[in-house]
Amino acid sequence: MRTENYNPAPPPRNRAKIMVVDDDPDLRRALSLRLRANDFDTVNVCDGYSAIAMAQKEKPQLIILDLGLPAGDGFAVLKNLQQYPALALIPVIVLTARDPEGNEKRTLESGAVAFFQKPADNEELLGVIRACLQTASGWGGGFPA
Amino acid sequence: MTENEPAHVLLIEDNSGDADLVRRRLVESNSGVQVNCVPRLSDALACLDVDTPALVLLDLNLPDSHGAETFRRIRQKAPDVPVVILSGQDDPALAMKAVHQGVQDYLVKGDVTGKQLERALCYAVERQGLLRSLEIARQQQLEFKNQFLSHVSHELRTPLTCIHQYVTLLLDGLAGPISPDQTDHLKTVFKSVNQLHAMIRDLLEATRVDSGKLRIERRCVDIGELIQQAVAMMRPAAAEKRIGLEVGVDRSIPLVHADPDRALEVLINLIDNGIKFTPPEGSVVVKAAMVETDPASVYLSVSDSGRGIPQASLPRVFERLYQDPGRVDGNRTGLGLGLYIAKEIVTLHGGRMWVASDEGSGSTFSFTLPLYSLAKLLFPVIVHQGHLREALVLVRVELTPLCNSLRGSWKETCARCLDLLRRCVYVDKDLVLPPMAGSGPVETFFVVASTDMERVGIMMDRIRGQVGALAPLQSSGTLRVTAEPIPAPPDADPRTLEQQVWGVADYVTGIIQQDLCNGHS
Repeated sequence: MRTENYNPAPPPRNRAKIMVVDDDPDLRRALSLRLRANDFDTVNVCDGYSAIAMAQKEKPQLIILDLGLPAGDGFAVLKNLQQYPALALIPVIVLTARDPEGNEKRTLESGAVAFFQKPADNEELLGVIRACLQTASGWGGGFPA
Repeated sequence: MTENEPAHVLLIEDNSGDADLVRRRLVESNSGVQVNCVPRLSDALACLDVDTPALVLLDLNLPDSHGAETFRRIRQKAPDVPVVILSGQDDPALAMKAVHQGVQDYLVKGDVTGKQLERALCYAVERQGLLRSLEIARQQQLEFKNQFLSHVSHELRTPLTCIHQYVTLLLDGLAGPISPDQTDHLKTVFKSVNQLHAMIRDLLEATRVDSGKLRIERRCVDIGELIQQAVAMMRPAAAEKRIGLEVGVDRSIPLVHADPDRALEVLINLIDNGIKFTPPEGSVVVKAAMVETDPASVYLSVSDSGRGIPQASLPRVFERLYQDPGRVDGNRTGLGLGLYIAKEIVTLHGGRMWVASDEGSGSTFSFTLPLYSLAKLLFPVIVHQGHLREALVLVRVELTPLCNSLRGSWKETCARCLDLLRRCVYVDKDLVLPPMAGSGPVETFFVVASTDMERVGIMMDRIRGQVGALAPLQSSGTLRVTAEPIPAPPDADPRTLEQQVWGVADYVTGIIQQDLCNGHS
């Protein structure tokens, strides 16, 4: 399991933690930088297996998930997250290079809350992340209001 | 027909003398061929239903079919079986026609010996086999090409995303301050990234068109609204070149039955082209109108005041990979797939697309989209035994998302609700109208029900019970079901049944249009 942490300072308590699952290190890094710049904490993982293990350990408030991953693709991750009551309610946003046709419907049916094709518009993605975190807190999810 | 296995030939010949002769010749030649002889085309077609012979030996003039029609019917029934014609007439023109339609040989009775006949049949089987393997190889090539393009497009997307991400990080100042010059250069990179992205998208789209995988989802669309949307999206690009972007839409245009996303794609593509090929200070005009001679379609056009298209190039502009031969440096035009894709989208809708151009003064691209004919949909449902149903009710099902619902999953939830709704009504008595294309998040479905206000409650309860119980809807939105009677035409109405149905359709369309105008759905 590999994790990357670009922010060694301890996070302030009210910042939401987002887990980025992508096998491309450059993309993980860019996405992390942008999320941090927007006041989120990030945890990065590079494969489907680590995604579940890290989600259990770190309890992120939101997951950004690629579909093409080693050690269990995005669909397997979505399915596995449902197996754990503590993880099943974490909103998952799928961010993939794959075609929306076929994949968008399937990911939403598998429990993802939104589908973005790469390259995604940054502001649009951030808007959906914020909406997800609000909704999750409204449901009594993990994110403190 | 091959040397090691006995093959069987279907001989279609109504003259028993001729049939015997052929059989004898084949036996004489000692080829071990089994011959099954039938006298009529109908018998032959029945035989081909249950068995596939190695070859069909065919007389053209049969009691139930003549000439070219005979082999056309056989080819249609068994396209992979080689056909050899054995005719009494030495007719070179007919023979050539037969060969062009896929017949392997044309032999004249009495001209061929047993050995020659056997050889002719043997080569016919071989030729047909070669043709078949060529066709299979062609299909495989096509499939390979599509898979290749699809794969390459996806693989290109990953590094492109990376460039996109880091350029926007720099542009947004997230990696430290940048100078105005650096900003300018980065914006140029960003623009090129977007062009590359558009090309990859077009490449995938064209692959989808080629493999017949382009799908459209029709809705009721207010075309004026859609044009405004397209124009609003293209205004910045027009303003940058100081090009006037004007709209002329006849407000009385009825609703159109089209995929709103795809129709928008076509409009944007045409407007984008117009802007690209028009010099600064020029103009691009988007129009929609009805034409008297074609009352079932709406006519849309995008005209520009650019330099026009040479007469000789006009027939080619919709071809794949067509590039403007006179383009000047710095005016990047893309892959040349946009118009090809646009035309395919329009064709899928049952419409037409064409271009008119005067070199030097501009071009006009026009296309048609079918109108939404509610009457046609309603007729089989609201007419029973030659009369309009006694009572009709319009049921309105409104789905309103909670404020935090996400666009993607809300769309999916609405689609599942529509599926369920269709199962809540009687197929032959009620009609769930095609969904409408609205700009807001509220989704409204309409049902025209053949019942009265007293009994419609049962249907409404069913909808509330089944659609309302859908888990994704419960967690992300609310459901509201209401009903209103559709006024019946007066008793002594002299109008024809068709006119009565039109009346109902107009009434319902009016309500839907009002809904669209109010920003609902």
